[in-house]
Formats: sequence, C-alpha cells, structure tokens
Amino acid sequence: MSNRIITPVKEFEDLLPQEYKDLVADGPFFAEKGVDDLGTFKEIMEQHPHCAGCGEALGMRLVLAGLPTPQDTLIIGTPGCSFFGLAQTALNYSNTAFGNQNAVASGLKRMLQIRYPDKHKDVVVMVGDGGIADIGLDYTLHSWFRKEKITTIMLDNEVYGNTGGQESGMSKEGKVLNMAPTGKKFPKIPVFELAKTSGCCYVAKVTIASPKKIGKVIRRAILIAREIGPTYVQLFTPCPTNLKFAPDQTLKVAKEAEKDYYPFEEFISDDAAAYLAKVEQAKGDGKS
Amino acid sequence: MMGVRVAEDKCIGCKICIYACPEPNVIKLTDSKKVTIECIKCKSCLLCVSACPKKALTKDEA
Repeated sequence: MSNRIITPVKEFEDLLPQEYKDLVADGPFFAEKGVDDLGTFKEIMEQHPHCAGCGEALGMRLVLAGLPTPQDTLIIGTPGCSFFGLAQTALNYSNTAFGNQNAVASGLKRMLQIRYPDKHKDVVVMVGDGGIADIGLDYTLHSWFRKEKITTIMLDNEVYGNTGGQESGMSKEGKVLNMAPTGKKFPKIPVFELAKTSGCCYVAKVTIASPKKIGKVIRRAILIAREIGPTYVQLFTPCPTNLKFAPDQTLKVAKEAEKDYYPFEEFISDDAAAYLAKVEQAKGDGKS
Repeated sequence: MMGVRVAEDKCIGCKICIYACPEPNVIKLTDSKKVTIECIKCKSCLLCVSACPKKALTKDEA
C-alpha cells in the first residue's frame, strides 16, 4: 500500500464510505501522527468484535497509532484474539497458518526489498502469546537467528483467549484458567531473554498502562528493523474475560503487573543504538 | 442504551481516557479541549471512568 493507492479517484470519491473519506482527510497516512495525537485524528483501526475492556484491543490501538509510516507497513498475524481487531484495520494485513507468522514475514520482507529497493516497507508481526511462545516459537527464533529485518510484537494476554481459556506458555505459574483447572505447572517462557540472546537488536517489554512508552518503543523497534536487524516488543495486554476480572479493571491489572513482574525493560545493541541516535538526531524528533 | 457521560466542567482534556479506551474512534478531543464520547460505538467497559483522574466521566444508564 502507499499514499498513491489510498487516494481515491475523483470520479468515485462520492461512492466511498464515510469512514474511508475520514481516513483520507483526517487519518495518519498523509500527516504523521503518533500516540500523543490520539483522539484528534481518525484511527486506522475500526470497530472490532473484542470483548468489553479488552487489553489486547487497547494494546493494538496504541501500537497502530505508534506506527511511523502506516501506509508502508504490512502487518502479519496468526489465528488468535489479535486477528479480530487486526482484520478491521486500514492496513495491509496478512493472516497465516498458526505459528507461521515469522516465516511468512521473512519471505514477504525479502520480496518487498527486491520489489522496492529504494523504499522502506516495514513488515510487522503482531500476534498473541500462543503464536510466538508456543506454536510458532521455532519459526520466530529462526527468523531472529537469520537476522531478518522484521519487527515482532507479542500481545501477551497470558492465555488462549478466543478458544475458551487454555493455558499458554506465557501464562503465570500456578494460574488457574477455564481449561487449566489445576493451575499451570511451569513458569512463563522467557521469550524476552530468548530474544536478547537470539540476535534481536532491540528488545522491549512494556504494558498497556504506559501508552507513551508503547509509542516510543514501537517507533524505535520499527526504525531499527529497517536497517539493523530483527526487533521484538512484548506487550502485556491482560484479558478480563479469561483472567476473570471486571472489564474496568484492565488498566489496574496492567499497572499492578508493571510493579510486580512486568517492569518496563529495554535492550538495545550497540550498532542499533548508534543508528537510532543518528536517526533521532536527523529528524530532531524523540517524539513518540 | 448504556454509555458514559462527560461532565464538561470537570474535564481538563488530559486525554487519559483516550489512552484507556480499547475502542478506536470513540473518545475524541474537541477544539475546546474537552472529550466527547460517541456512545453508539461504546461497549460500556467503563475503563475510561476508572481511569479519569478528575471523575469527569460517569456511567450513563439512561
């Protein structure tokens, strides 16, 4: 996708739905917008079927607002809750077989580099904890070993949400879930640590209780993935339906997790740090 | 229909509710730096109500 494709042909402009017209006139495609500008522009996500108070929907909304160039971004997803919201976005979105997302993203990134040698086309994998930590762990790790220039974002809701609440590798130890009645028997899979040792140039861990930090880390992760190598962002997005708390408590749960076991962490390799300093200085930004 | 009501005199336009809402394009900031809520798209999770530091948002059960 590009701004040329988004721009409607004059003769057919009247036929387009109002949402599309708003996106062209007031969206993030022709004027750069960030998480700070939320509420003042038309977001690229539309109404979605996520549950009330869904942390994952909020996480996706913040991530999508933080994309530096949404018109040149390709999102790769996999089955799971994240698919519901991502299918409602005005972005190029590709769904894959469960767990294959990083393999598909690697191929698409290579193809886009050949097709558009002078342009940055950002390939962003945005999937749940099941897709990365359980079923797609091998493909994910191998894409990092191969230094594919893609951004991987995990929406960690600590459960398989859309299939009724099975435990995932990222569920907390001892957590009792709908389909894990005796509690989970082993601790969370340390994907954050694995990413650091598997070749990711930029790794960050953040929760939905810190929206501005999300904007900052997403921007950094995508900019670094353009030139240096793979990046990984782990976003804690608690699920009120399966973790059994009231929908208005999602942010409280995220804040408590931030204090308890999900602190903000950032790792950046030396070459990525040097590149980022150069980019941020050139743009004079530091804007989220 | 349930929804959320904004007390305009209490709203300071801090946008914390906008960062708390899981629904896109529901809470908007007006030119006068107050928020408005498009209740027809609201799922009434009340995250904005619990996040508002000035208690400007209340549940509207009408």
